[in-house]
Amino acid sequence: MDKAFVAGSVLQNWIVALLTLAILSVLYKENPFYRFAEHLFVGTSVGYTVMTNWYTYGKPTIMKSIITEGKWTYVIPVVLGLLIYTRYIKNIAWLSRYCLSFIIGYGSAYVLRSDPRSLVLTQAIATFKPLWVAGDFLKTVSNWVLVLGVAGTLTYFFFTTKRSGIVGAGATIGKWVMMVAFGSAFGNTVMARVSLFVGRMQFLLTKWLHVIPG
Amino acid sequence: MSFWHTAQNLDRRIIYVVLFLVVTYVLIKPIGLPIVVNRETQRAYDAVDKLAAGSILFVSADYGSSSIPEMLPAEKAVLRHVFRKGLKVIAGGMWNEAGAMHDLAWQEVSKDFPDKKYGVDFVNVGYKPGAGVLLERMISDAHQALLGIDFYSKNFSDLPLMGEFKTMKDAKMVFAFTSGDPGEKEWVKMVTDPLRMPFATAATAVAVPGQMPLLQSGQIIGILKGMGGAAEYELLVKSPGSAIAGMDAQSATHILMVLFIVLGNLGYLMTRKQTT
Repeated sequence: MDKAFVAGSVLQNWIVALLTLAILSVLYKENPFYRFAEHLFVGTSVGYTVMTNWYTYGKPTIMKSIITEGKWTYVIPVVLGLLIYTRYIKNIAWLSRYCLSFIIGYGSAYVLRSDPRSLVLTQAIATFKPLWVAGDFLKTVSNWVLVLGVAGTLTYFFFTTKRSGIVGAGATIGKWVMMVAFGSAFGNTVMARVSLFVGRMQFLLTKWLHVIPG
Repeated sequence: MSFWHTAQNLDRRIIYVVLFLVVTYVLIKPIGLPIVVNRETQRAYDAVDKLAAGSILFVSADYGSSSIPEMLPAEKAVLRHVFRKGLKVIAGGMWNEAGAMHDLAWQEVSKDFPDKKYGVDFVNVGYKPGAGVLLERMISDAHQALLGIDFYSKNFSDLPLMGEFKTMKDAKMVFAFTSGDPGEKEWVKMVTDPLRMPFATAATAVAVPGQMPLLQSGQIIGILKGMGGAAEYELLVKSPGSAIAGMDAQSATHILMVLFIVLGNLGYLMTRKQTT
């Protein structure tokens, strides 16, 4: 293999490893190495985002669509988007409201158009479960848990009635169901963070220290 | 200070050191715990397996480099499965790093499939902004929505596979690798629900609870849950990778977490008893 390529890979692995250790050093206490790595990460992320957006969308739209293909109507959304930067100039900051109002108006319509069918109606229909499944006791229990859980959770958020009787019972069921759900979400979050740490350790032990082959 | 008081107020740096030692030890000396393929992963696998050779699968990388340990092994396993089945892949995404993630996966997987050619079997269209709006545009005219160039700035006219993919309707299935927003909800709202297209996901563990209602309603066929799901898929395609290698360490860490939680709670109960 080309020596320059190998040397480059080794240098890359060392840089990545040292930055990883610098970030992890905050677990002991705040220090300049952590600050440096954090700022480097923020700067690199922003720079990457800006350049990606320019090369994947800004430049093709302006150079290809507008100049080459002559789609001059695209100039309108480009100008509308650029108006957001007038917020930095006090005298003409009001121009940015046109851009924002367009975004808010379109965004609201976009959500109203698409969310009710896929994220509300379909989900509601999915809770219409048979409360008795012949020959499958576990399925029956599962359906009862689902229906009671959904009904209880929705009841929990009735704040206009007194929490007594059936409403109180429903709210209590909802509270316990939500606690189980939040516990599950927390457990999944822990699992995700552990996975990321295991991934970093795999890199340090294989690619950097070569303790594990791979 | 009593043992229980110490247990309840353990310095978190001790926990970090113990965690570091456990993970390092288990990675160097794996235990070999069994990995059981769960139903959701099997469903995702079966959905891809059912597709006829030559079908186009749209793969979406809606994750960033911070989710690589969970998502990249899953993507590589799925690509291996797809290439073995003779399927074709259009790879895109709604996140900035989508193109880079697909590039990483393709560079590694293509070494095992020298007969698969870029532009014929796999095209990386990369990231294009717009999220749900982009997806909606792709239903009617994918080339215009994607601006006619791929991640490497090649024109679609130079890529034979793009001649077969004019709109999202030309894809037979969508497989999304998601870690947040935009992600699976945009796919469900804009593409897979309206077109009634099979849709499977690989999600970071933190995103899984949010996807369970979509799985329960049938809008998502199957989910690869975090690194565990990636390990299960690697097992199904018989290509062990970093996900399987990391599962022992993951399990050991979880056991450690449970022990610390039990210790802390016992400490609380015992010190409360002592106070009363």
